[in-house]
Amino acid sequence: MKNLKILLVDDEEEFVTTLAERLELRGLQARVALNGEAALQIIEADTPEIVILDVLMPGLGGLEVLRWIKAQQPQIPVILLTGRGSTKEGIKGMELGAFDYLMKPINIEELIKKIQEAIESQP
Amino acid sequence: MNKCEDKEVAFFGKITAGITHELKNVLAIIRESSGLMGDIISISPEAIIKHQEKIQNSIVRIKDQIERGVNLTDRLNRFAHSTDETLSKIDLQETTEQLVILAQRFARLKHVVLKTVPPDQEAPPVTLVTRHVQIHMALFASLECCFTVMSAGGEINIGIRKLEGKNAVHVVCKGELPVQTEFSRDISESKNWQDLQEIAACLQGSAHLDEIEHGIVLSFPNEISR
Repeated sequence: MKNLKILLVDDEEEFVTTLAERLELRGLQARVALNGEAALQIIEADTPEIVILDVLMPGLGGLEVLRWIKAQQPQIPVILLTGRGSTKEGIKGMELGAFDYLMKPINIEELIKKIQEAIESQP
Repeated sequence: MNKCEDKEVAFFGKITAGITHELKNVLAIIRESSGLMGDIISISPEAIIKHQEKIQNSIVRIKDQIERGVNLTDRLNRFAHSTDETLSKIDLQETTEQLVILAQRFARLKHVVLKTVPPDQEAPPVTLVTRHVQIHMALFASLECCFTVMSAGGEINIGIRKLEGKNAVHVVCKGELPVQTEFSRDISESKNWQDLQEIAACLQGSAHLDEIEHGIVLSFPNEISR
């Protein structure tokens, strides 16, 4: 887990940058993208080992980014973050190939556990 | 309701649902920020950051309030989405639990405790095809009827059950209450009772006073005709 390259994608800048700082304090290498388009550029330039992806974003939405990742770089596990009271988007994302989903606001220990599970599940 | 009124309700629900989503983002930022403070404190020696324990306690309180806020916004979000369709299939127990959480403040102002009775594990869920918003209105109107006659320190228990083939919500008041006849008279003469009767009629159901226990029984059909 130490030095794991992780990409956080969310349009809520305050949320995602603070989350990145917390993950870095735990020894992970966290990068941030504030929209779907920026996320695709980062993935192409410097492939992360895992992507944490918000579902609801203006412009290119989380599920579209997920589809792109699964088509272009299917080895990258994706954990979705959903903001709604329903689990609908999360389930839809898992059908599209996401490893799992978490509801916002997230619990960091739960996120780390999910990241670990996703990495361990890799062939 | 006419078409314009339906649209008004749907609009109100749509805007509220959008705002609850924003509120969740606000709570997420507060949680991560307070979490980061906690992380930094836990790795810093006491000599560098004074009053660590007080700060940690404060972070715990922030975390608890975030949980409270998340629970409320979740319920409010679902409540707002209840306006998405004019008629929808609902789980009566779930709807009741949702309303009980959203109505807690009203109960607190009356110094009354509001609780749902857990469903019988063996019983299948009670589902209805109905007007979701109006079910909320009927449940809330029945609580308001109870508030009219209840004293501070009382308790309201709401349970769901099948009663003579009908889907019933049993609202029971406990605590210091008028005798049964006065209880029934005071409620049935209240404006809230008239409102409840009207809403129950819109739902093709009924609301009557429980003559044995201090309470109100609401019953609703499995499916309302359009």
